Amino acid sequence: MNKTQKGAVFCVASCLFAAGVIAYLFVSLFISKTWPTGFLAKYWSLIAYIAVVVASFTFLRKKQSPAEPDSDERDELIKKRAVLVSFVSVWILLIATTVILNFIVGETGSIPVYLFPFINLGIFITAMLVYSAAILVQYGWGGKDGKE
Amino acid sequence: MAKSEISNQIRKLRFENGEMTQQQLADKVGVTRQTILAIEADKYSPSLILAFRIAKAFGLPLGEVFQYEEERT
Repeated sequence: MNKTQKGAVFCVASCLFAAGVIAYLFVSLFISKTWPTGFLAKYWSLIAYIAVVVASFTFLRKKQSPAEPDSDERDELIKKRAVLVSFVSVWILLIATTVILNFIVGETGSIPVYLFPFINLGIFITAMLVYSAAILVQYGWGGKDGKE
Repeated sequence: MAKSEISNQIRKLRFENGEMTQQQLADKVGVTRQTILAIEADKYSPSLILAFRIAKAFGLPLGEVFQYEEERT
């Protein structure tokens, strides 16, 4: 795996972890109405920080060869396409969120303010996930990069 | 409609040049091994600059490494 692929794999793992933590916190705080307890609940951010640092200095830093560049022209092309796909996904999510909320609460209804950070975080995490998945899909399939 | 296809002799040339590995060629031309793999498999057409670099790595003119074929579909 080259650096771009590794970064994408790492990003997918981080986003899925973050989504899990957010879902857990949301259920704990707003549905169960209890502050999470236990070792993992107290120190999850420290554990995540250590995991990111360790991964950065091992998995992400290791090159296939000492002369390998961080990214080349094909990587840049793949990343450019992934950004485009991610950008489109953000718009789709924003519109979908607006329409769904309109259906749920009605035209004159209201939603609690605390939902907005969760919506924003959800959209951000999904966009990152789509970006990384688009990179991995393009490497996996090989694609017809640059042929057209 | 005419469809352009670029094929190449990289795999053959690597073996003729002391069984050079994809990684060694990638290091010589300054790209990742995945890019060489994609070019060899005709899944990616390199930029003109990269094509010249690859040809230079083998010490051959561009036309002997990359071939342009016009295919009618």
